[in-house]
Amino acid sequence: MNSMEGVVTIVQESRFQLTDDAGAGHLFVLAHRSLAEPDQLEALQRRQTRVRVDYTEPRNIIGLLAHAVDIAA
Amino acid sequence: MDVHPRALDYTESEFSGPIPNESELTAGVRIVPGRSYGFFTDTTVCIGCKACEVACKEWNNLPADNVGLTGQSYDNTGQLSANTWRHVAFIEKHSDGAGPGVRSTEKPPFQSGWLMMSDVCKHCHNAPCLEACPTGALFKTEFDTVVVQQDICNGCGYCVPACPFGVVDLSTLDGKAHKCTLCYDRLKGGLEPACAKACPTDSIQFGELDDLHLRARQRVQQLHAQGVETAYLYGVPGGPGATGDLGHLNAFFLLTDRPETYNLSEAPTRPANRVAASLLTGLAAVAGLALAAVAAFSRRA
Repeated sequence: MNSMEGVVTIVQESRFQLTDDAGAGHLFVLAHRSLAEPDQLEALQRRQTRVRVDYTEPRNIIGLLAHAVDIAA
Repeated sequence: MDVHPRALDYTESEFSGPIPNESELTAGVRIVPGRSYGFFTDTTVCIGCKACEVACKEWNNLPADNVGLTGQSYDNTGQLSANTWRHVAFIEKHSDGAGPGVRSTEKPPFQSGWLMMSDVCKHCHNAPCLEACPTGALFKTEFDTVVVQQDICNGCGYCVPACPFGVVDLSTLDGKAHKCTLCYDRLKGGLEPACAKACPTDSIQFGELDDLHLRARQRVQQLHAQGVETAYLYGVPGGPGATGDLGHLNAFFLLTDRPETYNLSEAPTRPANRVAASLLTGLAAVAGLALAAVAAFSRRA
């Protein structure tokens, strides 16, 4: 599984945009069995907390599937 | 061009924050909870630019799906889905009598052979998806629109076959039902829905339902006067699309061909209307089988 670090900049339901250190935005969708709830994303976005997202690349979608969202060390 | 008097209060290029009741400036309507809002989609002025699709994806942070070419049309979105809440259908008409499936080789001058329609959730007055939802995740908002609450949806999928228009879809990514929210978050902030605001020809008009019905009827009269006698409204009370106890559709359309041409049902119905008949049929089948079993066992005895 791949991982990426950055700041959550946009949240819509279970979808969010992570802005990485280079300033590029990446669209994520929380997976069905992810270790995070959509309600938690809003708080992360509000506080601009740096997070690490473990993800996979789903087929036929321009977006990434987030399996875990943790506060980066 | 008519400019709202309040527009003169905002002449600068950059703003420090959102404009209060911005929809008044962009759509000519102030959004007030407790009133009915919807979309009037006039397909005669749709140019198929797909700005509505893009605006919807941008605002709602929806991923692009079905990457690649469908090979069927200039329309590569294909259909509404869990990730596509607006879909501009491209329908090519056959005008030289060649028949269905045969592409025309000649067109009358200055006439387009294409019909374009921006399809969306109809936000039915008596919404079948809402009636089928066992968790209450689907609800009617204070703006008379139908929305799925993502934190309550358990992904059972009952709403998917209940929708007579095939709009609601389960996402394979998060396992939940998704559809157009008529930009519920924007309405709460006094903003016009993203698709209507982005539409360059005003094919998608947002407003109070009574006002939209009036505007739509005037547009039909205008088109009839101009010689487009096939123009009619789909989804207004008493008209096609508002059949089978659906009441009316908060997102209604002005069409110039049969509803089926636009992939719309001619007479959609509420599945709830068939519950009593289905239940009685089931009970009759059980009673019949029980009687047959009793008869079979009594013969043996």
